Amino acid sequence: MPGFDFSNYNRNAALCARGMSLPKATSTGTTIVGCIFDGGVVIAADTRATSGPIVADKNCEKLHYISPNIWCAGAGTAADTEFTTALISSQLELHSLSTGRKPRVVTCMTLLKQHLFRYQGHIGAYLVVAGVDPTGTHLFTVHAHGSTDKLPYVTMGSGSLAAMSVFETLWKPSMTRDEAVELCSQAIQSGIFNDLGSGSNVDVAIITADKTTLKRNYVKPNERVPKLRSYVFRRGTTAVLNEKIIRKEDLGNYVSVHELSTAAAEEGGDDKMEVDT
Amino acid sequence: MTSIGTGYDLANSIFSPDGRNFQVEYAVKAVENGGTSIGIRCKDGVVLAVEKVVASKLLKHGANKRIATVDRHLGVVYSGMVPDGRHFVDRARDEARAWRDTFKTPIPTADLASRLGGYMQAYTLYQSVRPFGITAIVGGFDSELDTPVDGEVGSGPKCGAGGKGEGKKHGGPFLYMIEPSGLYWGYYGAATGKGRQAAKAELEKLDLSGSGALSLEEAVKEAARIIYVAHDDNKDKEFELEMSWISGADGPTKGKHQEVPKALREEAERLAKKAIEKDLEGDDDEEEKKEGDKMEE
Amino acid sequence: MEFGTSGSLNEDGIHVDMDRLKKGEVNLGTSIMAITFKDGVILGADSRTTTGAYIANRVTDKLTRVHDTIWCCRSGSAADTQAVADIVQYQLGLFAMTNGKPPTTQTAASIFQEICYANKDRLSAGLIIAGWDERHGGQVYSIPLGGSLHKQSYAIGGSGSTYIYGFCDANWREGMEEGDAVNFVKEALKEAIKWDGSSGGVIRMVVLTAKGADRHLYLPDTDYAVRHN
Repeated sequence: MPGFDFSNYNRNAALCARGMSLPKATSTGTTIVGCIFDGGVVIAADTRATSGPIVADKNCEKLHYISPNIWCAGAGTAADTEFTTALISSQLELHSLSTGRKPRVVTCMTLLKQHLFRYQGHIGAYLVVAGVDPTGTHLFTVHAHGSTDKLPYVTMGSGSLAAMSVFETLWKPSMTRDEAVELCSQAIQSGIFNDLGSGSNVDVAIITADKTTLKRNYVKPNERVPKLRSYVFRRGTTAVLNEKIIRKEDLGNYVSVHELSTAAAEEGGDDKMEVDT
Repeated sequence: MTSIGTGYDLANSIFSPDGRNFQVEYAVKAVENGGTSIGIRCKDGVVLAVEKVVASKLLKHGANKRIATVDRHLGVVYSGMVPDGRHFVDRARDEARAWRDTFKTPIPTADLASRLGGYMQAYTLYQSVRPFGITAIVGGFDSELDTPVDGEVGSGPKCGAGGKGEGKKHGGPFLYMIEPSGLYWGYYGAATGKGRQAAKAELEKLDLSGSGALSLEEAVKEAARIIYVAHDDNKDKEFELEMSWISGADGPTKGKHQEVPKALREEAERLAKKAIEKDLEGDDDEEEKKEGDKMEE
Repeated sequence: MEFGTSGSLNEDGIHVDMDRLKKGEVNLGTSIMAITFKDGVILGADSRTTTGAYIANRVTDKLTRVHDTIWCCRSGSAADTQAVADIVQYQLGLFAMTNGKPPTTQTAASIFQEICYANKDRLSAGLIIAGWDERHGGQVYSIPLGGSLHKQSYAIGGSGSTYIYGFCDANWREGMEEGDAVNFVKEALKEAIKWDGSSGGVIRMVVLTAKGADRHLYLPDTDYAVRHN
């Protein structure tokens, strides 16, 4: 029979009635990007943290330290990205100490993916891993379920589509450091302005074999400017209907204060800490 | 006793000043008292044989087998302390099973020998254990065919796989002998136990490596003869001959380790006795025996 | 009955959950295949990785090395298949070191199968294992969702494979020359990419023979006509 088939509508309605919630879009509320250039790699992030519809922090840090030569941009659940990167940073430092070698980006990526895979996506960390190690310059994305990708330029978070559109139009092979920084900054700003989940400023980190440069608030396109007018209400705007003055010495008539003896306070707690003498 | 340990023989994991482990050497002594075991690797299979000394007339004839099957294509025979051998075989079966569990394919004879060698060696290292009082002979036939993986669904495609190395032969018969020290080598013919010297002398006369190599059935007959030759009438009067063989997929056992059929074994024994009588002709102390005759007391 | 996301069998024991991937999981809506030919095997795949409607990676490499001349094609969850391939790569590396010889394709296939079957209700992984070894030459094994193992002369998989069963059946020939075999894989994947929305991007191939692994790359810019690298 030609025409539309609505049988799935009935199925979905039945499933809904049986308590299966419909898929809900989850916003990772972030724009993070990374881009390789000749001699190093740049990662960048916006600085908006959200909690539902509320902007929880207007200038948070989404670029996380892993090791001096490896940095991570995090999207997803803020606590998860924070703790996961901290955990792997710690493991990598211990590993580096015991092997006597500089940590490698692939090692970091592997530790992250195995950690995240073990938790089957319940740790909501979506990461861009970037760094320079003795084997070269590397850039990866790691998804919460533990899958990884290796690409010359990457975007993640709710603003990733906006950011990717910038990369797909402006990216070219073998860029200079400044070109890469500018491109990443543009990509993040695209997220800031076009994605509700992203906003405020641009943070950038540039990693080369010699050093890492973190440019906090590299661009501040949302600077709060002074209000053009004052919105303070003039004195006397609200009418006074009656007035009553209570003096301090008369306060006892309205409020009473009972002092508890220290002995009575200790009665309840028998597990008092003992001090060696 | 040829060597006295002077305190260095009281435990494993103690070297004597001249670098010997006496416990291992004593284990070898235990082996040298055991019934002779031999293995022959010929061009189309492996034969294992053992001289089973009859300890009591009350034991059931033909029962209490000494050659063990470890996997479909693997057999083990040993000389020395039988309980040690039984445990060793258990371990061999565990190893074969573990290999199949992980790789879904029969364990190659060489890999089994390697693992058993490692197991044997471990018993020379620790205070709490003694070495095995056995020397084991492991025979196996690694399939020459492309065998399917265990658990594979269906029989797979008819077509041969592409890019195979032309004219290369894979698999075949293999024979290993593992000593109490854990030392193991691959052999054409192996012998251990009390009659090993005579057995080795006989094995060396056979053409096992050359182009005109022995056939499997000839090897069975040779094995029987060698056990009879190696048998010392003066020490042990009565013995049973136990023999097993393994051929390739196109041979009589179809790649499996099996006991040599009764008819063939009896034929081999008849020929063995005849050969010995011929050898002993002229000897005055020869004892005339007919097939099936019991020894006299 | 609750429709879970576990991917286990339903009460009737037949139907597998429609929604095997977890929410937001990266999917390899894929066209993959591997074939035997005169000198060995060829693996082929498209390069599209999706999260829902978004292409997370348009130049993905779904052909994964687990040993020098044993590779696999991955379809299903990216995370699951990467995890499984990593485990097998480790196991085969260990095998080669402890046994002093390279593993066979059979060995690789059986390790893959063990993992896929033992964790069948936790994994969404459809794998094709193809390899060359001296003993068996080129071999192709397929491990679909339930964890069964099938030896095949050629195997196709992923969402795009539905469109090329007919093509492959009509054009398949036993023991093709390398050039013809590469062409067969390329033409089949071109069809799969054309008809399957979840497949696309470049065509990657790996040719496995006695000489080792040889990578091919074909770009859509030239309608996959020119081989790059």
